[in-house]
Amino acid sequence: MTKKATDYTKFIKTKKLPGLWCVGCSIPALLHQSAKAFLDLKFNNKNTVLISGIGCTGRIAGYFDLDSVHTIHGRVLPVAEGVKSANPKLNVVVISGDGDLISMGGNHLLNTSRRNPDITAICYNNEIYGLTGGQMSPETRKGNITITSPKGAMFNRLNVQGVLISNEKYFYGRTSIFDMDHLNKVIKSAIKHKGFSFVEVMGYCFESDGRRRGFKNVGEMVGALREKYKIVEGKRLLGENELGIVRK
Amino acid sequence: MKQLIQGNQAIFLGAQKAGAFFYSGYPITPASEIMHAFANSDVNFIQAEDEIAAISLCIGASLGGAKSMTATSGPGFSLQQESIGYAHVAEIPLVIVNSQRIGPSTGMPTIAAQQDIMQTKYGSHGDYFPIVFYPNSVEECYRYTIEAFNAAEESLSPVILLCDGYISHLYESIDTNIKVSLKKRDRKPLGQLNGQHFTGLTHESDGTLKTMDSEFYRKWIISMKDKINEVAKKYNFYEYIENKKSDTLLVGFGITSRVLMSLRDKYSIFRPIRMFPIVEDLKNISKKYKRVVVVEMNDGQYKTALAGFLGREIEGISLQGGELSTKDIVI
Repeated sequence: MTKKATDYTKFIKTKKLPGLWCVGCSIPALLHQSAKAFLDLKFNNKNTVLISGIGCTGRIAGYFDLDSVHTIHGRVLPVAEGVKSANPKLNVVVISGDGDLISMGGNHLLNTSRRNPDITAICYNNEIYGLTGGQMSPETRKGNITITSPKGAMFNRLNVQGVLISNEKYFYGRTSIFDMDHLNKVIKSAIKHKGFSFVEVMGYCFESDGRRRGFKNVGEMVGALREKYKIVEGKRLLGENELGIVRK
Repeated sequence: MKQLIQGNQAIFLGAQKAGAFFYSGYPITPASEIMHAFANSDVNFIQAEDEIAAISLCIGASLGGAKSMTATSGPGFSLQQESIGYAHVAEIPLVIVNSQRIGPSTGMPTIAAQQDIMQTKYGSHGDYFPIVFYPNSVEECYRYTIEAFNAAEESLSPVILLCDGYISHLYESIDTNIKVSLKKRDRKPLGQLNGQHFTGLTHESDGTLKTMDSEFYRKWIISMKDKINEVAKKYNFYEYIENKKSDTLLVGFGITSRVLMSLRDKYSIFRPIRMFPIVEDLKNISKKYKRVVVVEMNDGQYKTALAGFLGREIEGISLQGGELSTKDIVI
């Protein structure tokens, strides 16, 4: 299949596909939707840099046909901020997981969002540490069985929206992989936003989480997401089950 | 033109001369003055939330095309170890200043020490081969900061500039108009590299992952060592003051070497300025001596390193607590 100039796969190292992710994982969908967004925004392979951290989502950087950086665990935001500081003309996009951005990277989430550099962070939130087999993350829901919460996760989740909106200026978008159009739209809005933008993509991990929690297949997990979330517009604050954008 | 400045300020001026374009750091005694100088300059400056963010910002800026530096002391240096290992694997030019104080932990923030020597060589997990310089005067702070940037560009690695609480705060009159070549940034920045992938995973030169290839790793680690050693040869900095009447060679560096100089009438003195890789010439130099005594402000760290390198008995004198006096140097 030949690549056309208008084809978004010009942003993907297609020879490396299908990639290392499990069959049924939707991180590849995030890869494709992000590339589509870059095409829609008329980015090119010379003015865009992709930075990711450690985890299954973190492996995504190596699949973009862009100059890319795979950082150490949790430090993706300051690395991205450093790149942008050295060359403000670059489009700097971060894609990483909930463990990387919210747990190990928590302090940097607070301070990078506070300093407000013009970069976009896309957080694939599957509420688990997938790559290492399924330990709980700060986004694991209370009561969920994981390897490190055999009697059910015991803590409240970290309120990511709360962290973002505590800033004077913010862009917080919540979307999901069950709706590709919404995902694409939110990613584009986030990138267009001048300043720090954070997109939380609600996802799932069947192999390291779903199986343990009793889901029979990927379809059931996606179905659960589809049932749980509702897309809303024009809200100041997103409810727990709402997808949309809040900004100031 | 001569100026009376302190060691930390000389480090800033050296970085500026070398073309440093980005600085990030976190306040810590006795290195903070370096950060203050950068904050009040034209260099791109971000005070980070912690030392890990500081070095991460520098890593990003370096990949983005800027010569970058961070400066800290023991506690911050310990936090930065993972990132230092990463910069070796991902091949990122960087200069990291560690102005040493008594440790471990918070220790004695305002008292100088030389207790991080081994940490510069073995601080991160994994095998890697860092280049480390250690000046002993304000003029050398200026000169070897420039050389640290040069070595970082040539080796595509994080070069450590060691210092200590004394040299950092020492005031000396120096002429910044010295003859020293400046290595330009060779590698193109992010955006101009054609889909280059930078990673801490074991990889081929284009970024392709080789995380299951033991044979590849064995070749890769040797090539990393060779790369560093080839570059280090061009930065063969040391001072050797021979006393033909002496059968004893004293080894000292940093502030301690200033005190050892007053013993040159009785002993030969070897002063490494490049701490690691250890200077090869020391092998031949030390052969002439019955005794080799390392005088250092720690529990015998460089003594241990030299004993391994030279394969002979090395003695050590530990000067701890920040007090330096020849009466404590009993050979």
